[in-house]
Amino acid sequence: MSAVPVQPVSPGAASPGAASPGAEISVQVQTLDYFFGQGDLRKQVLFNINLELHRGQIVIMTGPSGSGKTTLLTLIGALRSATTGSLRVLGQELVGLGNRQLVEVRRNIGFIFQAHNLFESLTAAQNVEMAVELTGNLRQKRQRATAILENVGLGDRVDYKPAALSGGQKQRVAIARALVNQPQLILADEPTAALDKQSGRDVVTLMQQLAQEQGCTILMVTHDNRILDVADRIINLVDGRLESDTNPQQFVEAHTVKSLDHNMFVM
Amino acid sequence: MRLSWRRSRRRIPLAWYNLRHERSRLLVAIAGVAFAVLLMFMNLGFLGALINTTTNFYDQFNGDIFLVSPQSLEISSTKAFPRQRLYQAAGIEGVQRAMPLYAEYALWKNPETQISRAMFVYGFNPSDPVFLMPELNTDAARQALQQPNTTFIDRRSRPEFGPQTIGLETEADRRRITIVGQYALGGGFAADGTLIMSDQNFRRYFAPRPLTQINLGLLLLDPGTDAQRVQATLRSRLPADVNLYTKAEIVRKESQFWIQTTSIGFIFGLGVLVSFIVGTVIVYQILYTDIRDHLREYATLKAIGYSGGYLFKVVLHEAVILALLGYVPGLILALGLYALADNATAGTLPMQMTLFRVVFVLALTITMCSLSGLISVRKAVTTDPAAVFA
Ligand SMILES: Nc1ncnc2c1ncn2[C@@H]1O[C@H](COP(=O)(O)OP(=O)(O)O)[C@@H](O)[C@H]1O
Ligand SMILES: [Mg+2]
Repeated sequence: MSAVPVQPVSPGAASPGAASPGAEISVQVQTLDYFFGQGDLRKQVLFNINLELHRGQIVIMTGPSGSGKTTLLTLIGALRSATTGSLRVLGQELVGLGNRQLVEVRRNIGFIFQAHNLFESLTAAQNVEMAVELTGNLRQKRQRATAILENVGLGDRVDYKPAALSGGQKQRVAIARALVNQPQLILADEPTAALDKQSGRDVVTLMQQLAQEQGCTILMVTHDNRILDVADRIINLVDGRLESDTNPQQFVEAHTVKSLDHNMFVM
Repeated sequence: MRLSWRRSRRRIPLAWYNLRHERSRLLVAIAGVAFAVLLMFMNLGFLGALINTTTNFYDQFNGDIFLVSPQSLEISSTKAFPRQRLYQAAGIEGVQRAMPLYAEYALWKNPETQISRAMFVYGFNPSDPVFLMPELNTDAARQALQQPNTTFIDRRSRPEFGPQTIGLETEADRRRITIVGQYALGGGFAADGTLIMSDQNFRRYFAPRPLTQINLGLLLLDPGTDAQRVQATLRSRLPADVNLYTKAEIVRKESQFWIQTTSIGFIFGLGVLVSFIVGTVIVYQILYTDIRDHLREYATLKAIGYSGGYLFKVVLHEAVILALLGYVPGLILALGLYALADNATAGTLPMQMTLFRVVFVLALTITMCSLSGLISVRKAVTTDPAAVFA
């Protein structure tokens, strides 16, 4: 077990999670457990997760590799179906939803992955347009795609294919794709892991800017301690349990006082 | 302006972009489909040509309506019927001329090897225009045929029958016979060689068979007459010991007989099936590889809100594009090979492209590719959207 300071998350307690009363709640997780596998191979990876994300918050989730961060993210993103507890995302209860309804929920969420996952056969603009087409707005798709690409600083690369773009540029196209439909929730899994320091920083700053403009909630998994300052809140997941929920100052203080736990920042 | 507005309203043709992105894979796929298309066309071409040769001698028979016994199967296994029926038919309005045709097998001795083989013999009245071959329609030909113990011989007879030189003398059914002319007709599947002689000579060789029993009756109609109407009138007037066919009907009936009694339909049908399977496997391989390479991208599409149905459409769209892109070169190659085969066999294996075949093979090709698409699509549709975060 790691020596991370334990701050049990209790709903209602004075933690950054409980922001001003009456604030809109984007994500509400209650007593969520999750298992992989069947029978003898059945293995629990998430234990009694309780979590509320408020509208407009940027929340960073950290924790050792294998602690269940990605699993939690995919559950919130309606990419897996949860069967226990309660999972309300953008006002919709996901527990018990069918595949078709989950697809609908996903359309309101922007996803950013560690790998950019762009279509190699499509240009930057076309990759973004694929997302716009989901809204049925075919007439303005090109316009909207180029506008958001300009926003992420790729105005001069709209007609380039991914093969002709750098890693940071590709990730910015992926961010443009995630943001173009102005989702109310953005889920990002280690979006800077494949990038060098400067591109990583740029990408995060960009996400922060766009989130502020559009007022959306961001939940981002990262091991990258250089970008923690963009967070309103940092939650820490260890062995499938939510271990701490702090703001960046508290987080940094806690970890500098008790000599930094290097496990936290394993890349 | 208007054009670009329209273009931008279309969905991105992801299937086409995906295929186009992998140039060499696309070329291999097109070549594979084209190959399968070519094989299908060749099998159907040979089948069609063979079926055609079973009955194409009818093209040279000068009749609008044919009378045959109901017990006849095809030209070489006819049952004779009374010549009286022809006279009855001749009295019907619209019938211009009624002509008898006699047919039997005779043993023809190859004058060089002395070996005898069965030769198919037609007998006709030389003053009747029964055959359309120009060689038989001259006064000299008619005169030569009137001489006793003479015959014309089919240039398309098998070489085993020996030389076909005019003036050559040999034996038919142990009786002296002299070749006085040649023509090109062909004997289909029934005969290795054919002779045409006058009815009077026919009577000599096949005595005691009387000329009052005929094998085939040919009716020529007045120009502009409706064959079907005359056929119906004939049917109501003639007894049931003759059947009445238009030329198209008798050709269809006899080719049907040959397809059923020989295995050509089966063999070439199998050939088409094998080509179809080969094509399906090739396209499946291509589509499978393509899906495997794009799995992450497809999972991403699902993650951002596309349904499995959309991915299904993309894969099927790729399949149909491959079908069309492969079909065109396949068709062009087939046309070339048809001409080549036609030339090489000097027209005895008539390979002709038909509209039906063009459409049929196109349908087969689209089915083939769609089938491959359906087999391989599962992988794309069931891809786990959560896998993109792995
Ligand atoms: N598809 C899966 N099937 C079975 N086990 C899985 C699967 N995905 C992840 N796991 C397991 O679940 C645990 C949590 O994984 P994950 O959520 O990816 O952790 P993290 O993102 O924090 O590194 C790990 O022990 C991992 O081995
Ligand atoms: Mg992970």
